[in-house]
Amino acid sequence: MLLQQFVNGLSLGAVYAVFAIGFSLVFGVMNVLNLSQGAVFMWGAYVGLEVVRNLALPLPLAILAAGIAAGLLGVLSELLVFRPLQRRGANRWMGMVGSLALARILIGLAQEIFGTQVVRYPDNALAGAAIDLFGARLQLLQVVAIGVAFTMVVALAALLRFSNLGRAIRTVAFSESVARLVGIPVDRVRLATFFVSGALAGGAGVLWSLLFQSVSPFMGDSILLKGLTVMILGGLGNIVGALVGGLLLGLVEVASIVAVGSGYRDAIGFGLVLLILVTRPTGLFATRETKRA
Amino acid sequence: MIDLFEAYHNVIDLCLLNSVLAYGCFLLLGVNLFSLATGGLMAIGAYLSIWLTMQQGWAFAPALLAAAVAASLAALGLGSLVLRLRGDYFTMATLAFTEVVRIIALNWNSVTGGALGIFGIPKLAETWQLALLLVLVIYLVWAVRSSGIGERMRAVAADELAVSTAGYDVAHFKLAIFTVSGAIAGLGGGLAAHLNMFVAPGDFGFLRSFDTVIAPVLGGAWNIAGPVIGATLLTVLPEALRFSAQMREILVGSALLVAVLFLPTGVASLPTVLRRKWSI
Repeated sequence: MLLQQFVNGLSLGAVYAVFAIGFSLVFGVMNVLNLSQGAVFMWGAYVGLEVVRNLALPLPLAILAAGIAAGLLGVLSELLVFRPLQRRGANRWMGMVGSLALARILIGLAQEIFGTQVVRYPDNALAGAAIDLFGARLQLLQVVAIGVAFTMVVALAALLRFSNLGRAIRTVAFSESVARLVGIPVDRVRLATFFVSGALAGGAGVLWSLLFQSVSPFMGDSILLKGLTVMILGGLGNIVGALVGGLLLGLVEVASIVAVGSGYRDAIGFGLVLLILVTRPTGLFATRETKRA
Repeated sequence: MIDLFEAYHNVIDLCLLNSVLAYGCFLLLGVNLFSLATGGLMAIGAYLSIWLTMQQGWAFAPALLAAAVAASLAALGLGSLVLRLRGDYFTMATLAFTEVVRIIALNWNSVTGGALGIFGIPKLAETWQLALLLVLVIYLVWAVRSSGIGERMRAVAADELAVSTAGYDVAHFKLAIFTVSGAIAGLGGGLAAHLNMFVAPGDFGFLRSFDTVIAPVLGGAWNIAGPVIGATLLTVLPEALRFSAQMREILVGSALLVAVLFLPTGVASLPTVLRRKWSI
């Protein structure tokens, strides 16, 4: 029973973590909050679903397709919202309003194209098996979701650490003017960052819709709030913090359902946010962004 | 004219109410605070005033006053905790506040009716009251902005550090403005509750807070008419696009995006922008 709840929390937390890492990456590099991320997540889920349903491709390819499509939507938010606003030197809240407007457009388009009903993956696409382990019944799907999530995180870490693109992204995150001085094509690096961030959101969307068996145009709203919660827990723009914070939030939520029932589940996340902002505004794992809070 | 009013008086009421609420955020934007606490503060005002009129038999006016006082006290408490946070951190903290209040409302069945909400609230708010309140709020905001306080607000917005170095107590100044905006949100919440005859916790969430703060941004965050223009657009546009829920989302989103991208100082600046274009 305990192990089962632990895995429930871990799989939920793994999806939160993947989503929040994409969110955090953009904040860390560009210092902007991209509020269209929830809608990008929803579009990823739909693309994955359509690929499985209509093209009958296996799940890994569906996740890949969803990641690419969602990544392109991430690029769109940079081209359409953040780049023009940055060129103009607009006030920072303009980026939030603009990206939220983009989210509304994306949600409206999804309603127009896919309808407003909640849909689910066809049964044969799922790994329905369960594993018995120490008397706990674990859904294979949960294990797969955790595995995929960790693969994505490791891939991102490797990209940031060892590739040229990763070095460029980290330089831009450190300082845009320094990056320009050493000849990094900042505009292209920003686009790549938005692509990676969108792709992570799309991947998280597919995992989420597999775990909870539902896809709807409005599924992005609640994950957006979760992503913000995780980002505060981990510290804005802190990627390791987003990973740990995501897992933590998943576990805490499941634990709170067991302890006090599901009514207050979301309150605990936001209560934590308030508590942390008041006591440790740079997140639980504060490193260098002390100056920003 | 009377017919027009009869046909659209719901929309007119909502325009007036949303404009009043928008001025609360307008004041905060004036000192560079992007707050998402409006929903939570409205909820406090709304549920308190409903409880007072429906269960305690209070008259509407004292109940509204209590709503405004309670919400401003809540804003005072919240503000003294989170106002020292900068930029996005402040925004996130106010969002967390709104969500916590919403979830408490969702679970506190005896007072809020839980997720189902409260039905049969007496419709006590009248259009003339809303109009009067809006005029009053506009006058007060105008008076504040053209006084020394307004001068100091613009200075804080331009360079907070410089103002505090010059010896002004910026922290308490912001707290005072946050408290005032809380009173406006509480009043708005009480009025909103007695306008629709029905409230549910979902009315006071993230989207409500965002729509309220978007209104002055859309209309013009530095123009006294901005909040009215923005709130009216955001209320009328969805009503006019009733024929299709999907197209409504797409068109409202597009309008907002176009305004953010091409009208940096809001719709209120449109005449100036056009005049400049034509004269050259």
